[in-house]
Amino acid sequence: MKSYCSTESMNRRDFIKISFAAGMGMVIAVALPGCGEKPSPGTTIKGDAVERFTPNVFISVGDNEEIAITVHRQELGQGVRTALTQIIADELCAKWENIRVVQAPADDAYGDQLTGGSQSIQNNYVFLRNAGAVGREVLISAAAESWGVEKTTCYAESGMVFHKDSSKKETFGKLVALAAKQDVPFSATVDNKDPSDLKFIGMSMKRVDGPDIVTGKAIYGLDVRVPGMLFATVARSPVVGGKQASYKGEGALGVKGVSQIVPISNGVAVVADSTWAAIQGRNALEVTWEGGSADLSSDLLEKDLLEKASRGAQASAEDLTSFYTVSYLSHVPMEPMNCLADVKSDSFEVWAPTQNPQGALDKASAAANVKGAKKLNVPLVGGAFGRRLELSLGGASPISVDYVREATEISKAVGAPVHVVWTREDDIHNDMFHPLSVTRVRAKLSDIKTLKSSRSQVGGPVPTGNFRAVNMIPEAFAHEIFVDEFAAAVGIDPVELRKSFLPDRALAVVNLAAEKAGWGTPMEAGKGRGIAYHATWGVTHVAQVAEVSVQNGQVTVQRVVCAVDCGVVVNPDIVKAQMEGGIAFGLSCLLKKPITISGGQVQQSNFNDYPILRIDEMPAVEVYIVESDESPTGIGEMSNPVTAPAVINAIYAATGKRLRSMPIRTSELS
Amino acid sequence: MSENTFNLNGRKQKIEIEPDTPLLWVIRDTLGYTGTKYGCGMGLCGACTVLLEGKAVRSCITPISTVEGKKVVTIEGLSKSGDHPLQKAWLEEQVAQCGYCQPGQIMAAAALLKTNPKPTDEEIKSAMSGNLCRCGTYLRITKAIRRVVEEGGV
Repeated sequence: MKSYCSTESMNRRDFIKISFAAGMGMVIAVALPGCGEKPSPGTTIKGDAVERFTPNVFISVGDNEEIAITVHRQELGQGVRTALTQIIADELCAKWENIRVVQAPADDAYGDQLTGGSQSIQNNYVFLRNAGAVGREVLISAAAESWGVEKTTCYAESGMVFHKDSSKKETFGKLVALAAKQDVPFSATVDNKDPSDLKFIGMSMKRVDGPDIVTGKAIYGLDVRVPGMLFATVARSPVVGGKQASYKGEGALGVKGVSQIVPISNGVAVVADSTWAAIQGRNALEVTWEGGSADLSSDLLEKDLLEKASRGAQASAEDLTSFYTVSYLSHVPMEPMNCLADVKSDSFEVWAPTQNPQGALDKASAAANVKGAKKLNVPLVGGAFGRRLELSLGGASPISVDYVREATEISKAVGAPVHVVWTREDDIHNDMFHPLSVTRVRAKLSDIKTLKSSRSQVGGPVPTGNFRAVNMIPEAFAHEIFVDEFAAAVGIDPVELRKSFLPDRALAVVNLAAEKAGWGTPMEAGKGRGIAYHATWGVTHVAQVAEVSVQNGQVTVQRVVCAVDCGVVVNPDIVKAQMEGGIAFGLSCLLKKPITISGGQVQQSNFNDYPILRIDEMPAVEVYIVESDESPTGIGEMSNPVTAPAVINAIYAATGKRLRSMPIRTSELS
Repeated sequence: MSENTFNLNGRKQKIEIEPDTPLLWVIRDTLGYTGTKYGCGMGLCGACTVLLEGKAVRSCITPISTVEGKKVVTIEGLSKSGDHPLQKAWLEEQVAQCGYCQPGQIMAAAALLKTNPKPTDEEIKSAMSGNLCRCGTYLRITKAIRRVVEEGGV
């Protein structure tokens, strides 16, 4: 068992000032375990009449039995606030019902808070188990000391410490004062629980935010309210990379509720006392734009990519060569981008639904440019899918993607808290899209292992960014359709073919999905099955078999069977939910519309011209999770790249027609 | 500006506001109930769904003038302590992922079950097809509604 010690993400300061959410009391000094420093005692102070024992930044045990567990990754719907709590709470031996989950603000004391790449559990599993174990051991030490017995004769369970050899027992809360006086051990010296003793890890614990979500109490970025706040919309260049030349504000100022017009780096802000007034005000604002890439056309970019990819690709009887296109795609989380900033003369505070609180705090700092206290809070996030990871492309990047800087600039200018709200149109027009790409795959028909793949994608000036699984989308799309094409060309069953080149864990999920889907059993005319496999980031193995029916050129996906191997499973139901959700996401990417650019302008605006999958289009889904004790790996981005190629392959099985673009072009089916 | 009176979650509200202000923004900004969400502003996504006289409406395209004297119920008013059968089923089936669209989903489901207490799966999906979910919780939404139907309705 090793202790986690990352020199780049753990802070080596001795004392870190952290303030917890209101009602928790103030923690003045916190000791961080391990990292080669002498252990120092945890400290508590009395605040709100609750005394606390705080062995590390993640755990605070109150003498009222409440256990505050701080989660340092952001909840985007992937269940991280629940799963990370399970990990800490299990080793701590907390009573689940006594836990209150606290969201960490941006602070290096927590280490890396960047929530993306499906890495939250993978990177923190060992570390957080150790954090929980350390807390448990100190509580046990405190009990042992108070009873005058050996530590080894005591154990913890469900919020209490018990003495094995007598009926002595005590609750965590009553041990707080004594625990605070103990030395906090190095995490390396503390054992983890035996797998057979785990109580929360591996269980489908219910999402901690569920009750607030179903009663409307859950607070997302758009819901944060502070006294004296104003609302703002920003007029931004409709042409990629354009800038405002001039504006006329009289019309906007004539709208009731609008108080100010504020030019900012990337546009013109309309500030009002309500969201609707800000929206109406912007409708009445006149702006002249100049510059930008008015000749950008996604059609031409795609033709260009295809032409480049085709160069030197000569047809040969011995080779199979194919080209696969993935269009620009938009994230469209249900909560559009937004940010609330409150810049004062000597401090600032920001509320941003972001995947990257520390990066967002840097952006806000630069824009606020004030000395003094700075804070960034992360509310619940209404979907992210990679959009809320970054706020720039680096270099001479179009700054219309940066909602944190917008809010901070406006607040600074008006001297009040300002909530910048992006409408759905803003959100689509100023996305950091999944990039347009063409992938060429070639292999000698004599040997699938000669497969070579190369992808060309368009960089700037269209803003592109991370889109749930990123490059894994075109990679899996191209590779898995090609394998199917190869199988058809040489007359081998696609599952059989994969046995010749997939390693163990990969093949296991392929076989499992195939078996559960009844691979090889006959299907009616017009129906077909397709299979695909991928390991996003090379870590989690997912195979899916899709069953489709194609009638009159219309594709109906009727069933998807999914097999997943993500190593140790922290919460099986969350894994299942992420597989289901990823399938829906993948189907939207494949079966709906692309983002197109013409005259330098994004052509789509809302769900009428950029639709997503609806409930009546969702197939039946079965998920099979492989039992494993390999180290846990992620799940957030692991399902969606597999779905599209599985469906393409099913369409081929149903119709004999091979489609090679995402989204599909239905003209190719009629 | 004109005076407007309507009933929100059982309480009479009297406000002075532009008559074409969408009900969504009156609920969220004027009256401070943020459970009802903004998703598109065009009645295309259903995140803003509330009950108006018991029927599901998209509050983002419902001018406040049209609710004069009427009863509006938002997610906050669906039950006193979160124990409406739909809310309980939503938790039993663990429907929500990010949760942003779910108040709208639950209100749309509540409206459906008022008019059609025993819908088929097809009827459920048809009635709910105007409520989008980017996280893809659709299977569990259907399951939760079906659970309420099987356990005796609302």
